[in-house]
Amino acid sequence: MYRYDEFDERFVRERVAQFRGQVERRLEGSLTEDEFKPLRLKNGLYLQLHAYMLRIAVPYGTLNSRQLRQLAHIAETYDKGYGHFTTRQNLQFNWPKLKDVPDILDLLADVEMHCIQTSGNCIRNVTADQFAGVAKDEVEDPRPTAELLRQWSSLHPEFVWLPRKFKIAVTGAEHDRAAIKVHDIGLKLKRNAAGEVGYEVIVGGGLGRTPMIGKVVRDFLPKEELLAYLEAIMRVYNSEGRRDNKYKARVKILVHETGEEEFRARVEEEYAKLDGPTINAPEEEVERIAAYFAPPAYEDLAEDSATLDGARASDPALDRFVEQNGFAHKQPGYIALTIALKEIGAVPGDMSADQMRAFADIAEKYSFDEFRVTHSQNLVLPHVKKDDLPAVYAALKEAGLASANAGLITDIIACPGLDYCALATAKSIPIAQDIAKTFADPDRQKAIGDLPIKISGCINACGHHHVGAIGILGLEKGGRENYQITIGGDATEHAALGERLGPGIDAGDVPGAIEAVVETYLAEKQGSESFIETVRRTGAEPFKAGFTAFIEARAAAQSEAAE
Amino acid sequence: MAKEHRAGSKVRGDKLPAILMANHLLEGDVVFLADGGWTLDPSGAKIAHDAETAAAMEAEGKAAAAANAVVDPYLVPVDLTTTGLPVARHFRDAMRQKGPSVHPDMGKQAEYAPIR
Ligand code: HEM
Ligand code: SF4
Repeated sequence: MYRYDEFDERFVRERVAQFRGQVERRLEGSLTEDEFKPLRLKNGLYLQLHAYMLRIAVPYGTLNSRQLRQLAHIAETYDKGYGHFTTRQNLQFNWPKLKDVPDILDLLADVEMHCIQTSGNCIRNVTADQFAGVAKDEVEDPRPTAELLRQWSSLHPEFVWLPRKFKIAVTGAEHDRAAIKVHDIGLKLKRNAAGEVGYEVIVGGGLGRTPMIGKVVRDFLPKEELLAYLEAIMRVYNSEGRRDNKYKARVKILVHETGEEEFRARVEEEYAKLDGPTINAPEEEVERIAAYFAPPAYEDLAEDSATLDGARASDPALDRFVEQNGFAHKQPGYIALTIALKEIGAVPGDMSADQMRAFADIAEKYSFDEFRVTHSQNLVLPHVKKDDLPAVYAALKEAGLASANAGLITDIIACPGLDYCALATAKSIPIAQDIAKTFADPDRQKAIGDLPIKISGCINACGHHHVGAIGILGLEKGGRENYQITIGGDATEHAALGERLGPGIDAGDVPGAIEAVVETYLAEKQGSESFIETVRRTGAEPFKAGFTAFIEARAAAQSEAAE
Repeated sequence: MAKEHRAGSKVRGDKLPAILMANHLLEGDVVFLADGGWTLDPSGAKIAHDAETAAAMEAEGKAAAAANAVVDPYLVPVDLTTTGLPVARHFRDAMRQKGPSVHPDMGKQAEYAPIR
């Protein structure tokens, strides 16, 4: 894992001291709210419906047990005993008091954490594949790249006030688990024909009000040229991106309005003007960073574990858990495990302080003291010995963390929505809870298979609804909450935006509508097709028909009941 | 800096009766303008039945924001219960009167008597 050097440490401490001063001046009245707001947002502090909200950066989603224990301590001391993991691989506290925030930031700094780059018009916390360094289909660990970008971007004077926020995601694998095509910049580590490692560079993806799939601006960028090339992109964006209209200020709009060809040409033109060697990171620095992410000291083990096989044969629940939540590891005898923060009826992404402590113990004991946060609001134990798995499962179960539904229809992403968010137009979490309860039966979930549902409580799309195989968007219509259903969205290498099935519906009708969509899938499915594969083959039409039939049946039942 | 959110009720049409709601600067908690000061208790909110009272309350809210006591004060149209307590007409404002629907153990609903 990356460890702070003296410079990082000093930087973070200075930021805390600076913010402490700003809070003091706000409290004594020398800063007005309008003056203070941009300053607090720079430190991840929002004001939500009920209270302040503090967003804590988890760079590329990697944490250790000491950090999680500190988060548990903060949750108990300064919040209401829980935290919320988000689709940005961050953690949010929903109830901090303004006067306590500087102390919280100091506690975070004690464990090399902070809230920098979690808000405001800067390059945000860089996200990465949750199976970085672990996945079999990986060319190279994306985290050294993410860390390099963090160091390059967090202090870069040109990028402190961009036209709008800027999100970068990196993957090193063939299968995209970091949603790189819906970020402002997506990077994919790959090999060229000569076997050299470089990046595919994708620009201009994004969700929100105007969703777009990113465009490939460079098919292969030699690895050592990364920073200079990104600097060229940022310069084009910084000088040409729109600052007059915040809804048109993201780079996706610039790429769209300029045209893919022309944008690429401008980037290359800017790139030709830059003095690459003065910008690109020196080789020693790249190596220094990469060394932090060296694989842990794995044991030499056989691929298969008799202990695990035996335990799976005698415990069907364990067997199901491993099958659903296990992920193939590069290293023989090891496995990565997804911990779905998605117990039926729970709030997606929430974790209590007790669970944090229990999980910290498990990660420390069984996963080289390391775990990951995923953009699906789940956690990952990246390096578990198969021999240890029965013990790990027992410990997870004890902590209420052994939900065997990773990737299934009940593993739902939901933004905070109207339960917390000041921007929301409708609730989001209760919709997720209702759907999860509807499909609670494990056999039914298994029969349906992989089906990512994603829910947002307004068009900002923090819940990624555009790229949900089923997407749900909560809006307000005529003073009521109203939900639009889309299907066919995909956040992977097959990135696609969902298509609307029909008119918006009431909250109470959502689970039934999802059932209708699922029934259509089961009827249309060929062979072992997953939901998204079926939609890709059939298109949305059969699903629209199923959805319409559901709505008509509902309307008929309602008018009958009214008679 | 773009505004992250706009305070204000989304109720259309008739805006009375109304209460005045804001966030406490220091704590962040939702507060209601009461007779002579602010209260955390949704039942303690002062109710404006006429436009003059509403305007006076709004001015009081602005003054409190200028004095750095509260943030984002705004008038919230309400209906009255049989016992005369205010229930926000818009579901967003009602959420702020109660606390998160997914956590009945948190927020106003956990700390104060329910509005019936
Ligand atoms: C609760 C306070 C939050 C506020 C005020 C907020 C605000 C916003 C806004 C205004 C946008 C649209 C930006 C644009 O298109 O230019 C946005 C997008 C987004 N936010 Fe949030 N958000 C919040 C919470 C979250 C949470 C909890 C998550 C993670 C679950 C999240 C992740 C994202 C993502 C992934 C996007 C869309 C991707 C994109 O930027 O293209 N946000 N948010
Ligand atoms: S999508 Fe909308 S409601 Fe959901 S967290 Fe983002 S801004 Fe809030």
